[in-house]
Amino acid sequence: MDCDEVSRLLDAYIDGELDETARPEIQKHLDSCPDCREEADRIAGFSSLVRATLPMYKAPAELKAKIRASLREASAPESHWLFRLRRPLIYAAAILVLGFVLASAFRTYGPHRNQELISQAIANHACSLMVDHLVDVTSSDRQIVRPWFNGKLDYSPPVADLAQEGYTLVGGRIDMLDKRPVAAIVYRHGSQVINVFVWPVANRKIDLDVQSDRGYHFCGWNQAGLNYFCISAATAEDIEKFEDEFRDHLNL
Amino acid sequence: MGDERRRFDEIFLPHLDAAYNLARWILQNDQDAQDVVQEAYIRAFKGFHGFRGENGRAWLLTIVRNAAYTWFNKRASDQKWVPYVEEKHAEIISIDQSASEHRVEKQKEDLRGALERLPPEFREVIILYEIEGLSYKELALSLGVPVGTVMSRLSRARRRLREEFAQVKTRRAANGL
Repeated sequence: MDCDEVSRLLDAYIDGELDETARPEIQKHLDSCPDCREEADRIAGFSSLVRATLPMYKAPAELKAKIRASLREASAPESHWLFRLRRPLIYAAAILVLGFVLASAFRTYGPHRNQELISQAIANHACSLMVDHLVDVTSSDRQIVRPWFNGKLDYSPPVADLAQEGYTLVGGRIDMLDKRPVAAIVYRHGSQVINVFVWPVANRKIDLDVQSDRGYHFCGWNQAGLNYFCISAATAEDIEKFEDEFRDHLNL
Repeated sequence: MGDERRRFDEIFLPHLDAAYNLARWILQNDQDAQDVVQEAYIRAFKGFHGFRGENGRAWLLTIVRNAAYTWFNKRASDQKWVPYVEEKHAEIISIDQSASEHRVEKQKEDLRGALERLPPEFREVIILYEIEGLSYKELALSLGVPVGTVMSRLSRARRRLREEFAQVKTRRAANGL
């Protein structure tokens, strides 16, 4: 191999991306050619300089919010179904039939169980606002609220610090839901109180899109083995945003 | 919110900075980069069913660079090439920096200036390889070219960047900065 050929393959050689057949030949050439050796050192040295010092741009904070908003729009049920319907007609028909079957099955078996949960959650939420029993531990510090649950529950509910996003942690208490004691974590957003109930996924996972009942908005999801149910008199959009932020903090 | 959307968020939102950095380097403008990244996330979500759980970061970055080029082509007709303006990139260096911090800052600034002078296809290959650490194979998939082309493009991009870097430095030295 002469210097020209080596020069063409030198970057790949340094990056360890060259196949085994060509490597020994380059190595042999480098051993005997000081010029190419020097060039190899320059390439490697410059590559590490770039990695170490090239400035990185950080995404502006508002971009995440914008993306979330457009994803909410994109994942709205209408566009979702339209998207599915672009597939060949025969599949569309099959999916529709299946959809009806599932929908009627869901109507028969699904909502009743959820309805019970929702009614209980609404009652808990309303009760927490009416009597002077919003929280058993009052603190905006998650380091205080989280340990408070220790020993009172057989699991440890995560408490997110969302102060920067505009949700002030008020505190926590124990409530009954889904036939068991659960953690209730309380936030305040403007004039609205948000209750987040957290309990382990035992035999069913909660997955509820934002819904409204008796003037409250609520939604539920499951994450890392725990069910979450948040409820407030805030708008549907506010609740969805809250879910986004809360989940985001759990992913960190 | 559906399970699909949640899975999507968990996989792709952590790569937002990488996505923005790539778009910003290709387009060299904050607002355009934001628009393109937003568009890329929508595209990614709509094509999410085609995601097979491979390298999520590389998958997203591919969509970002494609969205950036769509944007380029759309604007190409009604936008003239804007020459590089020195003052626009002038750096403000505070005086109380220590000498070594000062040197590092200058090196950063020189490197930024040098990379900005390269054509976009060189800028993107530098970002994707040196910063994002994609392999040659992933680069080939991402750029839609054979591995042989990746090899020569990266090699030429590095050489050009090195030359520009040397020139920027010389120019700064000549100006006595």
